[in-house]
Amino acid sequence: MHIPVFERGIIPPDPVAPDSLKGIPRQKTNPSRWQGENWQDFVLDLRSRGVTVCESRADCSVFMTDAGGVAYGLSHGVVRPTSAEDISKVLKAAQIHRVPVTTRGGGLTTEGESVAFGGLLLDMSSMNRVLEINPDAMTARTQAGIFWHQLAEILRRDGLDYLSAPLNLTASVGGTLGVGGIDVNSPRLGCSADQAVALQVVTPTGDIVNCSEQENPELMERALFGYGQFGVITEATLKIRKFTPVTIQYFYYSSLRTAIEDLQFIAREDASDYSGILTILDRAITLLVAFDSDGREREFNARWKRNLRGHGEAGFGLHMAWHYLLHPWRIKEAAYIIGRRFKLFPEFWRSEFMHNGKIVDRTVVFSRAVWKFWGGPQMVIPDLSSKAEKFAEAVERGNAVCRKYFRHYTLYCVGIKLRGRLPRYELSCIPPDAADIAYGCEFEPMLRGTNYSRDYLQSFKNEIYDIGVDMGLSYYRFGGMMKGYIRRAMGDELVDKHLAMKKAADPAMILNAEVIF
Amino acid sequence: MDGHNVNTKGYEYCSGCGICLLVCPLWRKTRSMPHTRKARARALQGGATIEDIATSIDACLLCGSCEPACPEGIGIAAMNMEQRRKLNQLRTTYPSWYPEPSGMKTRIKDNVLHNSIILIAGEYPEANLKARSAVIELLGGNKKVSLAVDDGRDIAGLLEAGLPVTQDRIDDFIRPLRHAGTLVVSEGLLHVPLRKWFPGKKVMGTGEALLSSAYIRKALGPEDLYIIECRGYHSDYERLVKFYDRLRKETGCQINLDLQRIAIPTGASSLQAKKDIEAAGCLEQARWIIRGRSMSRIVVEDLADLEVFQRVTDVPVIHVGQLRQDNS
Repeated sequence: MHIPVFERGIIPPDPVAPDSLKGIPRQKTNPSRWQGENWQDFVLDLRSRGVTVCESRADCSVFMTDAGGVAYGLSHGVVRPTSAEDISKVLKAAQIHRVPVTTRGGGLTTEGESVAFGGLLLDMSSMNRVLEINPDAMTARTQAGIFWHQLAEILRRDGLDYLSAPLNLTASVGGTLGVGGIDVNSPRLGCSADQAVALQVVTPTGDIVNCSEQENPELMERALFGYGQFGVITEATLKIRKFTPVTIQYFYYSSLRTAIEDLQFIAREDASDYSGILTILDRAITLLVAFDSDGREREFNARWKRNLRGHGEAGFGLHMAWHYLLHPWRIKEAAYIIGRRFKLFPEFWRSEFMHNGKIVDRTVVFSRAVWKFWGGPQMVIPDLSSKAEKFAEAVERGNAVCRKYFRHYTLYCVGIKLRGRLPRYELSCIPPDAADIAYGCEFEPMLRGTNYSRDYLQSFKNEIYDIGVDMGLSYYRFGGMMKGYIRRAMGDELVDKHLAMKKAADPAMILNAEVIF
Repeated sequence: MDGHNVNTKGYEYCSGCGICLLVCPLWRKTRSMPHTRKARARALQGGATIEDIATSIDACLLCGSCEPACPEGIGIAAMNMEQRRKLNQLRTTYPSWYPEPSGMKTRIKDNVLHNSIILIAGEYPEANLKARSAVIELLGGNKKVSLAVDDGRDIAGLLEAGLPVTQDRIDDFIRPLRHAGTLVVSEGLLHVPLRKWFPGKKVMGTGEALLSSAYIRKALGPEDLYIIECRGYHSDYERLVKFYDRLRKETGCQINLDLQRIAIPTGASSLQAKKDIEAAGCLEQARWIIRGRSMSRIVVEDLADLEVFQRVTDVPVIHVGQLRQDNS
């Protein structure tokens, strides 16, 4: 049998048509481990340039998996850079010795994107200093390895805050800008990546380049949403704002479609500062609406609230009581909803995080709840992102898949305000046909205390991702172990265009190459 | 024995979220992942031995900040002490800041104390003996409060270093305390073992004991920066976070709490700091605590913090026991 050998970085068009193989599990495993050719020469080269490479088991195994806990791999060594110059030296040497380099911030990927399967791991978390806060321009310049929460702690001493960031305390700025970054204020403010005013990037060949929309705009557009393919973001200048506590209102639904339509209504009308959907079950759906100011909340109450079809908590309780009275065989479901309600919701109202009825530090509150109630050694979070018109159908189809595989799961839906059709959105989580506002939904099974096989979880993810292929959608997490879907979902032409750009920027294909290509 | 905490989950439960490192003073100081609790857990999960992570285990200041931050409820403080104990069994030389392994006090003839409150005051240098007297006075005076001669400081030091403490020594320490209803304990590291030894008794820090009185709370105001003793606070976080939140709302005082409501430690009570306050990073932590804040006075619960803040600011620094005197 003849098995064709392809040179690294030369990926042929996908022989599998987008609509084939439906229902057949597609297994994607970890990339094969890089075998260590030239590793010693590479290490000696770096040492001669004053860069320390840590090679002990303890140093490497810290990064053996990511938040997903499904992909496992060990690097040959770890570098903890302290400057862009360190990274430049690493990448120049890596090009010469053809050593793969994986960058890692908070390691919150779920498909092994930040796991090194051999080669060098760049632990960017060591670059976590805030370099400048400019209250006149309302910007903060920071090293990109900083976690958003560290940045928040520093900004808050001056009564300031960042604009939007993932609801996860240990997401890094650089990692977030590389993939987009979505917050519950993204329907209004857009992705975290769109808050970046300027970047310092070390290109795959080791050049240190400053870029913005005016200076080297091509690199800016490639580094943002670039999944680490076109450089290592070492510094970012971000928009900031005055800090304000938020008030939150919750609306409860028993219909997923109705909740989604109301979410889209709120985003479309710019009726609130924050909005998102979080489900307990697909018949117990919470629409969260929040405000930075009393004025905005008053306006919402006067103009928009009456248009929403959700219940208040008491009304929803009565509605559900009636429902389960008529469906007594589903009483366990009711018990689950009530149990979840009494465990989860008090976390959102802890008195130490409230001040005068407002939530102070919403990211802390939500992130702690996320890890406490959804976190664990394994997290599987396939997602779909869509233009407005297709979103409700996409979520309903994804929900049907979740029901098929798991007893308990959560859907998290949020809108993403777009800045027109920027080049950075190409081959990203932003669907190509979305205008003005895109929508994303995460499908997260509750895995704590369960014991599913990796194949089972993979089949679940494949079925969600098949919906994306079928409906022409995009995904937030399409890299790493899910990269088999990139060509199927995005098409050969677009992927080949980016592959050509990647090869031009990274001749030896050493930087995060396993993530996308 | 060791300082068992209520959380008993081990490192194998670590999901790697990294929230613990956000509150870690060593992370702030070194910016080096291997020095963090997360890295130690992940390294052990990945097959590293306890000797491989010895540097990180030794560097930990045992401030306990990481424990309430952990969403998995891992018993981090107890685990760190246990890891030190295991490490001690494997090594022949100890870090320079370790107490003498045989450094336990010989039998102290402490009478059985019959007052309802016993103050286990810890280390009050000569210059601060007035503060100790003030604490006794504020808690109700000598008729209500007994001062334990044996403050168990040696036990705390040995626990912190993971060195063995004999049962006889523990018995000597706790025997005089058995009739008290409330133990007011300055050394936060002793709170957990004392709760284990006396399940029915109230164990609280000096700050909480004093601030339970409205008379003393009235001495605090918005211009004060109040510094919580971290080890005791973190060992009873769920209760105390609400206590100090009420204090903040009632008095308007600023507190050394971060956005997660974890107390930012100076690390001044650690064994490492007793050896070298600067090398332990205490001054840097204190600078971070006061950064961007406007205050006219700093009030500390832990006497060890007096020196730290006096070295980094010109603002007056007093012990919580001196609050009323300072205001009068």
